[in-house]
Amino acid sequence: MAGPGLYGGDEIGALVFDPGHNSFRVGYAQEDTPKADIPSVVGVAPDDSPKLEPESKPDDSNISSKKNKYYVDTTFLHVPQPNMELHSFMKEGMIENWDMFEKVLDYSYDKVIQSVSQYHPVIFSESPWNVRAKREKLTEIMFEKYKVPAFFLVKNAALAAFGNGRSTALVIDSGATHTSAVPVLDGYVITNAVVKSPLGGDYLILRAREMLEQMGIDLTPATMIVAKDVVREKDKPRYTRRKLNFQVSNSWMSYMVKRTVVDYQQTVLQVSEGPYDERILSNIPAVHYEFPSGYHQDFNNERFKIAEGLFDHAMLGAGNIAATSVGMCDVDIRPALYNSVVLTGGNSLLQGFTDRLSRDLQSRIPGSMRLKMISANGTIERRFGAWLGGSILASIGAFQQMWVSMQEYEEAGKALIDRKCP
Amino acid sequence: MASGVTVSDVCKTTYEEIKKDKKHRYVIFFIKDEKQIDVEVIGARDEEYDQFLTNLQAGGAGECRYGLYDFEYTHQCQGTSEASKKQKLFLMSWCPDTAKVKKKMLYSSSFDALKKSLVGVQKYIQATDLSEASQEAVEEKLRATDRQ
Repeated sequence: MAGPGLYGGDEIGALVFDPGHNSFRVGYAQEDTPKADIPSVVGVAPDDSPKLEPESKPDDSNISSKKNKYYVDTTFLHVPQPNMELHSFMKEGMIENWDMFEKVLDYSYDKVIQSVSQYHPVIFSESPWNVRAKREKLTEIMFEKYKVPAFFLVKNAALAAFGNGRSTALVIDSGATHTSAVPVLDGYVITNAVVKSPLGGDYLILRAREMLEQMGIDLTPATMIVAKDVVREKDKPRYTRRKLNFQVSNSWMSYMVKRTVVDYQQTVLQVSEGPYDERILSNIPAVHYEFPSGYHQDFNNERFKIAEGLFDHAMLGAGNIAATSVGMCDVDIRPALYNSVVLTGGNSLLQGFTDRLSRDLQSRIPGSMRLKMISANGTIERRFGAWLGGSILASIGAFQQMWVSMQEYEEAGKALIDRKCP
Repeated sequence: MASGVTVSDVCKTTYEEIKKDKKHRYVIFFIKDEKQIDVEVIGARDEEYDQFLTNLQAGGAGECRYGLYDFEYTHQCQGTSEASKKQKLFLMSWCPDTAKVKKKMLYSSSFDALKKSLVGVQKYIQATDLSEASQEAVEEKLRATDRQ
């Protein structure tokens, strides 16, 4: 249909980027899963080693004068490197460190997409509270640096609502760093009624880690263990530690320990159905878990106690932020919002999260309104809800006229993005 | 955010025929070739609600539709002795949970365009299963805005 510089997402494979705190999702539109799920942290090490690895791109001279090596994606991040410090490029749901973000984009085009950016229109998701300056900056980078033929920016909450068959919905997004309640009306986010709390997956990981350390459990990550013996339950682990001839950085070590706790969090933690009650919960069968070090034991109440933190907080509990958000909306649309509560985000996969939230909300809403919770069943759909929405949106025939094209950008400049993508 | 889907003129004229002339009972819309909302079925004035539901789901469990219905019911205001007959138009988006994500997305993101071109509809309903689309559920929603 069109040559470069015109619309044509259908023909030449539009790309969908969904940046999150835990990972950066990259893939082609029209597919049902992202091609890659890249961790949102980048390893930075001074480039003094003589060996040149193909994965680390030499620094562009125009970005910084210091010679640094960057490590992107799981495979390279998980290998210990001397002096490698890990940094996240995200902050509060927005892109903070643009240099590192560009490294990740470079990597995505190079290794994941394996094509040149000029040929693919790009659709980006953003958090509902993204600020104007950052939206414009992103637009600028995509057009000026990557020379994309067309670009579009959508709020991730709107994508999640669409993906679940709703144009009006209250989207509860529980991700790594925060849980947010976002009202979406006819596909537009009501930005002044967005409520967010800093309690998300990372908070649970932190609490779990504190607890495990207090219990004196060895959290040595799998990558540092060469061999281990089978020990009896609650016995001291016996393993051989990997020998490195250099000191690994603290940020790398704590990231690796975090990965270890993430696994624990995903398999063991559970949200209790009602408010935390020790007597009832002690009847529920314990869950057995073995750490990478070989240590293993049963976990009882404690697994509920940690997850309870997401709900029992007076102000920041998930049920409360949902109710507050709806309360800030117009009275007329409140029933419609309660009637379609869309649950998304990786942290909402925590066992029992859906049941508890629905119970919490049920007790808060006025009797005249009906509550309906909508959540995708599959892990993929829930974790990549926004990405999937973007993938589908970009593949819809009629959407092709919505793109912001290179030509329009050249005529109107970056301020255009606020008009074209509200 | 909208999908860019447009609304055909037939939709508007059919809507006017229901609203002004009361010629039909209901109309079912669908999205043609992912580009334009068009009329699929027009229901005669004497058809029942059940037929509307059947036609709405005619495409099977994996299909989405929009439906517009001229709903009649009797309502008695508090303190009055006589019940009055009421007619209300509602526009429903039907996106069953079993439908493909792409279909759901297409229909929900285009709902706004349809809403804007059909002026004067009293109630918008998003339905994902029969409990939300049933006659009772719809009547309850329409009554919710009535004076007691």
